[in-house]
Amino acid sequence: MEKILEIKNLIVSFKIREKKVKILRGVDLSIEKNEVVSLAGESGSGKTLTGLSVIKLLPKNAFFENGEIYIDGENILEFSEIEMEKIRGEKIGMIFQEPSSYLNPVYTVGNQVEEAIKGKINKKEKKEKVIQIFKEVGLKENVYFKYPHQLSGGMQQRVLISIALINNPYLLIADEVTTALDVTTAIQIIELLKNLINKFKLSVLFITHDISLAKIFSHKIAVMYSGEIVEIGPIQKIFENPLHPYTENLISCLPEKYKKGDKLKTIPGNIPDFENLPSGCSFHPRCYYKKEICLTNQPGKTQIEERFVRCFKYGNIVENRKS
Amino acid sequence: MNNLLKKLKKANKFSFFSFWILFLLYIGAFLADFISPYPYDCQYRQYSLCPPTKIHFIDKNGKFHLRPFIYGIKVINPYFNEYEIDYSKIYPIRFFVKVPERKIFGRIKFGICLFRVEDEGKIFLFGTDIHGRDIFSRILYGARISLSIGIIGVCISFLLGLLIGGISGYFGGKLDTFLMRIVEIIMVFPGFYLMLALRASFPLNLSSIEIYLLIVVILSFIGWASLARIIRGMVLSIKEEEYILASRALGLSSFRIIIRHILPNTFSYSITALTLSIPGYILGESALSILGLGIQEPYPSWGNMLSSAIGNLKILTTAPWMLIPGFFIFLTIICFNFLGDGLRTVFDPKNW
Repeated sequence: MEKILEIKNLIVSFKIREKKVKILRGVDLSIEKNEVVSLAGESGSGKTLTGLSVIKLLPKNAFFENGEIYIDGENILEFSEIEMEKIRGEKIGMIFQEPSSYLNPVYTVGNQVEEAIKGKINKKEKKEKVIQIFKEVGLKENVYFKYPHQLSGGMQQRVLISIALINNPYLLIADEVTTALDVTTAIQIIELLKNLINKFKLSVLFITHDISLAKIFSHKIAVMYSGEIVEIGPIQKIFENPLHPYTENLISCLPEKYKKGDKLKTIPGNIPDFENLPSGCSFHPRCYYKKEICLTNQPGKTQIEERFVRCFKYGNIVENRKS
Repeated sequence: MNNLLKKLKKANKFSFFSFWILFLLYIGAFLADFISPYPYDCQYRQYSLCPPTKIHFIDKNGKFHLRPFIYGIKVINPYFNEYEIDYSKIYPIRFFVKVPERKIFGRIKFGICLFRVEDEGKIFLFGTDIHGRDIFSRILYGARISLSIGIIGVCISFLLGLLIGGISGYFGGKLDTFLMRIVEIIMVFPGFYLMLALRASFPLNLSSIEIYLLIVVILSFIGWASLARIIRGMVLSIKEEEYILASRALGLSSFRIIIRHILPNTFSYSITALTLSIPGYILGESALSILGLGIQEPYPSWGNMLSSAIGNLKILTTAPWMLIPGFFIFLTIICFNFLGDGLRTVFDPKNW
């Protein structure tokens, strides 16, 4: 299969008070053609930063320290800003989490979708194209003349989706698309995305903190914990038999497994502070399966069938990385 | 345009009226050659400082005339500018009179004048100045300078202010530091003295057009700095907004993001700042004219007309109509202020 996106050993650091703090600590991820990969994890685990790295739009005080990101076989980290401008929007579309703040309040939405169109076509054709895509995402024609604040959250998200899809990109990054929406709208948006993914033959990086959403349409899931992918594999297998203790905990927290009256389970503790990560495996303070080696060494990538997991439960592969 | 006016009417009645008043003033300035009864430099020495002519419909005998008329002017004492109404002479006002020597903008021949009386009678709606020139006509011609100087000057300084403020705020870093220091250098000089110094560095014997252009350039050179500074501050906060990140994710170039997405978001402020600063240009021109550095006689501007009025205290008391240009400056300024207020509401999409 053709790889659309391949991230190799990506390390992204922040400069905080003159100190270098590693946030992404060697992320490996690849997306094949027509594949939907979910990136799940708690807030602050580096999911959004991974998404932004793919379009090379890091926050101001962040920088790439190491790694390669291949899009369509080309390493975009070597691209200039002008070359990146061509790739953004045309090859990669991105949908963000808070639709209202990602639309410019001073323009009509039709205007903003039109602006996203690459290539020179005249005004009439542009408008036709916009209305065409509005139909695809389930918006009425008259939305074209509305301002963002006149639309509901769900409609705004549909507008953002149409902006992301208007150039027929082959990679779509969806960053927590349903976070700002209520549950019923969220389901509608997810259903819409599912249809569009099939229709436009998209490869998708679906960033979410809700792994039950990931289950709806992804092929693969990558679970992230404090800047590392701790487990990656086909979604069905991971849900049936999670390998990493963190994944296991996450899945057991899903409410669908409980009977009425049961107390919901949570994972004790918080995600660690990036500035002083625990020694060894960063998950060990919260892990029920804790060995001595976990306290001192970082677990390396262990392959089990088609899955990769970083845990000493499945062998003693140690990560040789300067921390 | 129509849509904009409707919104303006809905937003603020005052600004709607202001718009139409300004519209009339600009029409008056544009059609000065047609409306004014006399050319701006036409002197009637015997009628120096003549009071405004009254227009009548009913004559002394109580007879109604459909066509308005004026009485003649009798000179009592030419040395003290004393005049009396001569009731024996009646001059009906004629409309669309043929005036063969009249030209539009000094070029195209256009031999019609809106209203005039027969040659021996004189109609001075706003009176005359010390040289016996019709103030009404001179106000119309002067409006060409005073009303356009603000618009052109503001356009230049607005363009500079927005671009430099936008670039400085968006890119930040060394470029920002450099540009802002330049702004500060311009800002540390008191505006008026900077204006005088700049004007003084150019020769005095320039033609009216050259002086006009010079004043526009000088005023806009002073005006852009403070605007750039404020725009920069706004850009600093707007560029952190998520929709800017989104438009970068779309692959728009920096220049396009500044022009299309950041600067329009400053418009609710800058449109007001723009209309509020137009009066500054009109006053700036007046200030230069009062000091004799602005538009030179005989060509009129509201500023130099006013300056000839307030230069002499005796004139102020005996011929208060000489202050009418001041009233027009006031009217223009207040209209622009109201208009700016209304436009701010109109340009904020959240209000619709």
